[in-house]
Amino acid sequence: MVVGLRNFTERVGDGAGQPVLDADNGEELMHVEPGVAIVFGSHPPESPGTLFISTKQVIWLSDVDRAKGYAVDFLSVSLHAISRDPEAYPSPCIYTQIEAEEDEAHSEGSDSECDGTLDLSKITEMRLIPSDPSQLETLFEIFCGCAELNPEPNDEEEEEHNWIFSADQMEDDATGEENSEWHFANNPSHPIGQSNGHHDLAQPMLELQISDERFEDAEEMERNSGSGHN
Amino acid sequence: MLFFSYFKDLVGREVTVELKNDLAIRGTLHSVDQYLNIKLENTRVVDQDKYPHMLSVRNCFIRGSVVRYVQLPPEGVDIELLHDATRREARGG
Repeated sequence: MVVGLRNFTERVGDGAGQPVLDADNGEELMHVEPGVAIVFGSHPPESPGTLFISTKQVIWLSDVDRAKGYAVDFLSVSLHAISRDPEAYPSPCIYTQIEAEEDEAHSEGSDSECDGTLDLSKITEMRLIPSDPSQLETLFEIFCGCAELNPEPNDEEEEEHNWIFSADQMEDDATGEENSEWHFANNPSHPIGQSNGHHDLAQPMLELQISDERFEDAEEMERNSGSGHN
Repeated sequence: MLFFSYFKDLVGREVTVELKNDLAIRGTLHSVDQYLNIKLENTRVVDQDKYPHMLSVRNCFIRGSVVRYVQLPPEGVDIELLHDATRREARGG
């Protein structure tokens, strides 16, 4: 999945056209809002354009330049809100925060501009300004509905374990990342998946784990059952 | 589902939602869904100097996956009830 904002150029139809959606994967158009200007961070607004909200993403297409368009997946929209205070922004708008690439130092405002071109992947704030401000409530609610249609891809799996950890899980988490490196660094002669004398391919993995002090319990159990390998 | 039910009980109360990008927003909990997406009303940003753009926002929708912490009002925490619910959840009931 592409994180953050990206260029979007695939259009069908005459004139300004419509965005090409991924209908094979069930993507449907939810709302079309003509006359919308788009603003990234503290950059000047771009207009005129049309906003397309699909079940998966927010797409803005320029009305005059078919090569110009932007899109962001709902998965990357961290927050959205209605902004009406003229002191914060002159025009009432939908304000969004976008999850960008993890490079904090370059994620703010004008830093996203390199060599005069906008680095979309670093944009963290986007405003959508409808020419008809009375549409703001509607747009806000559509954003809410679509956000709900796009939960994190692995939510199902994690749901049970997101909040409450057992001691075992904590241990797994803590060792998970370092472990892979450790395998290779210390056991170059036993690459995972290679049958080094054992017929069971799972065996080399087991050996590596039980020689790790962080798995003392596992080792004990192995010994007790009389099948230790150390 | 425990936290979904729990947060639903907090609707109408004042909470502070801290995002993974460090932005903290205080507001009245308007609604929460099964993905722990949170809608706040009467919002105000805790660190206004750092996030001037959020000043004007009076209500907002926060994606559940970007929430780091939710600070709850002490009076909204019924410890007995939570004890009970977590035990039931742990038993898979």
